[in-house]
Formats: sequence, structure tokens, C-alpha cells
Amino acid sequence: MAGDFLVVQNLSKRFGGLHAVKDVSFSIGRHEMVGLIGPNGAGKTTLVRLILGILKPDAGRVSFKGENLTGKKTWDIVAHGIAGTFQNARPFPHLPIIANVMVPCLGPRASKRGEWVKRVEARAMDALEFAGIADLAKEPASRLSQGDLKRLEVARAIACEPELLILDEPFGGLNPTETSLMAKSIRRLHKGGRFGRLHSEGPAMIIIEHKLSELMKIVDRVIVLNFGQILTTGTPAEIVNNQQVIEAYIGKEVV
Amino acid sequence: MWEQILVNGLISGGKYALLAMGFALIYGVARIMNLSHTAYYMLAAYLIYYLNQSLAVPLPLAYLLAILVVLVIGVTTYHYLVAPVREQFTAVLIVTLVMAIVVQEIIFIFFGGHFRSLPPLIPGTTTLAGIKITYQHLLTLATVLVTLTGIWLLLFKTRLGIAIRAMAMDREVANLMGMPESRIALVTVAISVGLAAISGAMVAPLLILDPLMWMHPLVVVMAAVILGGLGSIKGSILGAFILAFAEIMLVFTLPKLAYLRGSVSMAVMLAVLLIRPEGLFGIFMEGER
Amino acid sequence: MFPYLIRKLFRDFQGEILALPTRTIVFLACIGLLILPLFTKNPYLLRVLTLTGIFAIYAASWDLLAGITGQVSFGHALFFGVAAYTSALLNLHLGLPPVLTIPLGALAAVVAGLVLGLPGLRLKGPYFSLASLALPTIMMGLVFTFPQFTGGELGISGITRLSTSRIGEYYIILIMTMGLALAMWKMATSKTGLIFHAIREDEIAVRASGLNTSRYKMLAFCTSGLFAGLAGGLYAHFMRVVGPSTLEIVMSLQIVVWTIFGGIATIYGPIIGVFILFPMMEYLRVVAELRMLIFAAIVVITLRLMPEGLTTWVQDLLERECPRCKERNAFTRANCRVCGTGLDPGPNTNIWKRGA
Repeated sequence: MAGDFLVVQNLSKRFGGLHAVKDVSFSIGRHEMVGLIGPNGAGKTTLVRLILGILKPDAGRVSFKGENLTGKKTWDIVAHGIAGTFQNARPFPHLPIIANVMVPCLGPRASKRGEWVKRVEARAMDALEFAGIADLAKEPASRLSQGDLKRLEVARAIACEPELLILDEPFGGLNPTETSLMAKSIRRLHKGGRFGRLHSEGPAMIIIEHKLSELMKIVDRVIVLNFGQILTTGTPAEIVNNQQVIEAYIGKEVV
Repeated sequence: MWEQILVNGLISGGKYALLAMGFALIYGVARIMNLSHTAYYMLAAYLIYYLNQSLAVPLPLAYLLAILVVLVIGVTTYHYLVAPVREQFTAVLIVTLVMAIVVQEIIFIFFGGHFRSLPPLIPGTTTLAGIKITYQHLLTLATVLVTLTGIWLLLFKTRLGIAIRAMAMDREVANLMGMPESRIALVTVAISVGLAAISGAMVAPLLILDPLMWMHPLVVVMAAVILGGLGSIKGSILGAFILAFAEIMLVFTLPKLAYLRGSVSMAVMLAVLLIRPEGLFGIFMEGER
Repeated sequence: MFPYLIRKLFRDFQGEILALPTRTIVFLACIGLLILPLFTKNPYLLRVLTLTGIFAIYAASWDLLAGITGQVSFGHALFFGVAAYTSALLNLHLGLPPVLTIPLGALAAVVAGLVLGLPGLRLKGPYFSLASLALPTIMMGLVFTFPQFTGGELGISGITRLSTSRIGEYYIILIMTMGLALAMWKMATSKTGLIFHAIREDEIAVRASGLNTSRYKMLAFCTSGLFAGLAGGLYAHFMRVVGPSTLEIVMSLQIVVWTIFGGIATIYGPIIGVFILFPMMEYLRVVAELRMLIFAAIVVITLRLMPEGLTTWVQDLLERECPRCKERNAFTRANCRVCGTGLDPGPNTNIWKRGA
């Protein structure tokens, strides 16, 4: 538990009778790469939606770099440096891929980099290049395959130039080759540096994933969620051998 | 005065409720915003007028025939004009709007723009609990009540009704459950048009007929449906009564400001929606906003 | 400097207008409209075309809000009516000239845009569409409540003319139409326009991209109000009488027909739609009672044949998209004018598939 980069305290959310997220607290350090796992319905997606401000928490607090983000609007949170992808990709289907990525490039965070403001299109192209779908730039987003949609989501998120990146099932629906490519890009992004006009600060990451074998290879630490509560946290090696986790996942393949 | 407000509010509310329920059903099941909905209501009224006054068909038979004819017209136009463009929200708007205009124009051609009125089905008045009331009002009230109950039973007690409601709540899931979507849509259209026709037939003797009489109810009905919450049958009925009573109260308490009735019901609708954006009984998807 | 500008203008003209048949047609139509008064002084024709211009601005402003930004408002008459009444009242009571009343009327429509934005920010999809019906109706109530001020049923008459001659009015309004249309088209294809398009497609995804969608939606409401307001002000000074008809539901719904007929979310679609449908409606007056039926038939048949609207259909007929760079090319070309990739020869097949 390092630093005060992202601190989540006692976050709770109810949907009617369902307590989707119950009193969750954790923190994440700068440059840390954290996996968020748990069986279906454990509240993972709800938790990241609460952090991103897409849902409003019933109780609890989220602070980022010492600033309280609870109750702030999504765009404000993104402007503070958190970006996320959606579990089910949400492209702008009638717009070309390049335009899909130009939208985040027009955001306050990306356009702060004065000299590049006028090069929105070029910046978007660099994000596509990084995600590996630059050759599809002019196709409408509705024509993309599932794998390419995931890459588009990643391209859109990194175009926000985040300091904390939340990836919701980045490997979902990808075949093994695509999965290892995606894992490679994630690691490259995490190291930071320049990708053309795009600048990566080496963001901290929260990765939700069901493909545990791939996930365990890239993350530093794993948080396990079950029934809306944190079951345990630990290094990948600890989690893999944790009896509680195996029980929570019973019927599912672990590693 | 209050008893008059009550009677008139119930009648007007019943009329709007029948219309709103039809509108809500069709929207829920087929995602069709049917701008020609109240045109069917007008058509039924005019058909009764025509059958009775020009062809001298006795009134009860004229009622039945009119409702049947409107039903057939409604289902045919749906099948040939609306169903093919159903997937496109905007095209549906245009086609249904154009259908309403066509009905209006046909009525203009046949009847001209004059105001017309129908004799009551049963003439005379009676006194009920100290309130003087015409038989026609009573009959209308009774019909509205019977129809509402009938539809209620149909929707909540029969397999068809359950299928319709399931479809209205979640089209995708209903589809996945293997419900014959287009057939249910057609049946819903028939029910919806039927409701509009019954509503038109029942209030025809109480109203002055003119070819533009579809516009005001259309606006009120749409307002009632979102006031109650899209996808909720109960909501649309309640919405209809709320707006009807708002209008009638204004007309009876401040008769000088009667022309404001449209504005008042609109303002009520807007105020409710600003407080509850999903309507009274609508389903609220937080993450989707 | 100057020769450079001229050369650039000429190059742009060749590359941007002559290269595409549809743009050439629009260009020729504009020229035609501008030189028309040299050939005919028929006051009826000029009057119809002037009104067409006004409604073209109005329809395009709806497209900016509904087609581009996805806020399908059924209460657009609010902007038109508010601006028309404001212009008329300022002109009548304060004696301001049209040069001032029209912009002030448009300003009032911008304020109306802020008011419509209130439900616009809170309500979604059909909820907003239906709720937006309310505002013009409420406004109409206000008009009838203060008849000594607004003229009630009869409206306000005796407004100053835009120009002393019919031809003057024709030129003022048509040039404004062209200028405003260009401005709206530029806006829709700009970076702000891109954000508008994205809001229509998926508002939450735009927020998650770090953009304040509320601000952009408000901007869309206000700009749309501004353009519709300009149309309303021009209408007041051209018709010289403003009545409650400017706030009627029909006023809000007919632009929906025009826009979808022409092709929604294109800006030029509604303009071309109005330029076809409005004069047609006027000239159909000769068959008085059948005119609405003919109109209805034409609209429905067009929509069955061209579900995406007339302009999109014509575009697909006359132009072909390069498979590689997605630039549009005239149907006569064998190679893409930008990247040189070979274009699919033969008739443009994809359109026939769509029409069937």
C-alpha cells in the first residue's frame, strides 16, 4: 500500500437491493500496476465506474494526487489524469476511427500541450499507431472487429494522456496472438516515453481481467473482489496460492 | 363546480388514458413514436358522424363499424408503411406524421373545415349523488372504465399480455427469449389503434369535430406518456389523468384563462421531468446518462 | 499577396468544387439563384424563393441540433417564434431598424436556447424530444396572456420592411441564407462539430474522453438558437406580420420532414430539402385540396426509395468513395483524385442494392 496517488476509502454503491460495492478501500502508488480480479458480478466494473465518476457512490471517498474527486463529473476526473476503457467497447460507430481518437485529443488534458494543439489529427494518428490500428484510420468504427475495438478503446484512453489508466477487460474477446500483443503494448505504455507526438507518463494502471494467466504476468499486485468487498490483496504469486481466492473462483480455471 | 371538475376530469382523463396507453404500448413494444395515433381517434369520430348522418346507419352500429374500419386501416397502414422503416427512428416519425396529415386532409376534402357535432348515443340526463349528469357522460365514463379494466386484464392476466409487457420493458431480452417480435408488434398495434378508435368513438358526441382536433390530444398524450415514464403502462394512465385534471381545473376555476390549458399541462409535465428525468414510473439507468 | 490569393481561390475552386459533381450542382444553383432577378421580376416567384431561403436557415439550424448533436427537439419553433416576436416588438415599440432587431431577436433565441438546454442537459432521447414540445406551447400561452402587447391571435403587424424593393429583400435574404448555411456547414465539419457528432453517438464515451459535454451541448443549443433566431427575425421583417403561427407545432414538425427528406446530419440536406419541398408546396396550391396528399405521397415515396434522404442518394449516384483513402470522387473517374487508387468501374452498384 504505497503513497497517496489514488486513495479509495470506504466506497459503497447499491443498486436497489443489490449491494454492488460494499465499503471498499485501497490505494495505488504512482507507476504501480494493479490487477483487479474477482468472479462475475463481484463489482469490479461498478468499482471502476465509481472511480471514473460515471456512477455516483452512495458513500465513501476517492482522492487522486491528494485531491478529492468524489462526486466530480467524469470529464473533470479525466482532466485530473484518470482515464479508462469500457468493458463493452463504446466507439462512435458512424465516425471514422481517426475521429474517434481525435475526440479525446480535443480534451483539456491533451490540448494543454500547446505546440501540438493544432495537430490533433496527427496526435490521434500516433495513438492509433501505438494501438496498432493506424491502417484502419478512415474506416467507420462500426466495421471494426472485437479485437480492433479493444485497441480503439486503448487508443482513446491513452490519447487522454492519463497518469492512471483503468483498463476494463483489455483482453476480452481477443485471440491468443492478439492478447500477447495487447499485453506487450500495455507494458510498453507503462514504461512511459514518447510515441510520436503522444507522451506517456508511464501511468499507474488498474487492469480488470478474467484471463488471469496473462494478467499475472504483467501486474505488480492483485486486488481480489468478491460480493462487492475486497477479499484479499497480494502479489500475483500469493494470490495464485490463496485458498480463499480459489474458493471464490471455484468452477473456474485459475492460472 | 367541484363535481363538474370531477366528472369532466374523469372523462377527459379517461380519453387521454386510453390514447396514452395505446401510444405507450406501441412505443414500448416496437419503439415506434406514432404521431398518427390521435389521427385514428379523429378518424373514428368522423366515421361515426359520416355513417350516422350521411348514411343513416343507426348509432350503435355506426360505433361498431367505425371502430372496426379504423382498426383495419390502422393495422394495414402499419404493416405496409411503418413496419418496413421501423428500424429508423426518424423515418418512422415522418411516415406517421405524414399519415396523420393525410387523414386530416382527407377529412378536409370530405367534410370541409366546418365544426360538426354528433347526437348523444343515449339522450337525457340523470341525477347521481346530487350531481346532474348526462347519460352520454355516464356512458363514456363506463366505457372508459370497462376498456381500461379489459386492457388491464389482458396485459396482466394473459400470456399475450405478459409477452407484450416483457417486450415493452426490454426488447432485447424478450427477443432472446424467442418471442415472435413482429407478430407481437402487430397485435400491439391492433390493440393500440383499437384503443384510439374506442376513445374517439366514446368522446365524439361530447366534442366538436374539426379536422385539426388530433393535434392537441397528440401533444397531451405524448406529454402524459413521458410524465408517467416510458415503458410503464400504469405511468401513462396516471400521467393522462394528472394532465387532464390540470387542464379541467384551469378551465373551471379560471374560465377566462381557459386558452392556457395547453400551456399548463405542458408546464406540469416539464416540471415533473426536471425533478424526475425518468418520469414517475420510468426505469432509470444511472450509468447510461 | 493579391495574385496569390486569387490563384489559391482558383485552385480551391477547381479542387473543392469542380472536382465533385454534387458540389458543382450546388454551386451552379447558387449562381442561378443570384442571377435569377435579371431574367424574371415575377413577384410571386421571388417571394416564394425568399421565404424558402428563410426556412432553409431554420431547417439547417434544426439539423445542427438534432442531426449533428443528436438532441432531437420537437420544439424548435420556440427559437423561430421568440426571435420573430422580439424583432417585431423592438421594431414596433422602440423603432429600431432591422439591422438591430434581427441580431437582437437572434440573441433572444440564444437565451431561449439556454432555456431549452435545461431539459436538454437532464433528459435523454425520447424524453427530451417529447418534453421539448412543451416550450413553444408555454410560450404561446404567454403570447395569448398579454394580447395588448403581443397582439394575441392576430399577432403584430406594421413591421418595417427589410428593403424598399422586392429584389432588395430577395438579395438580402438569399445572400444571408448562403452565408449562414456555409457558416453552419463549417461549424458541423470543424473540431467542435466533431465533438457534436460524438455526443450524438455516445455521450458517456465523450465524457470519458475528458470533454465537458454539458458545455458543448449548451453550445449546440445556443448556436442552433442563434441561426434559427436569425431566420425568425428575417421572417418577421419579410412577412411584416408575426402571429402565434410562428410558435405552432406544425412549425416545429415540418422542419423534421424537410430535414429527413433532404438527408439528416449533413446541414446541406435540409437546405436542399427546403429548396425542393417548399416551392413545390407553394405551387401545388393550384390543386388546393389535394396538395397535402401529393406532398405526403412524394415524401413517403422518396423515403422508401432513399431512406437516407435525397442528398445522400444523389451523392451515392454521382460520386464514388475511394476504397483506400475514403475521399469522394466523381463517378466518371477511374482513379482516385487524391491517392490514385483504382476505383471500382461500372455503375455504382451499392446504391441499387439500397434502393431495392
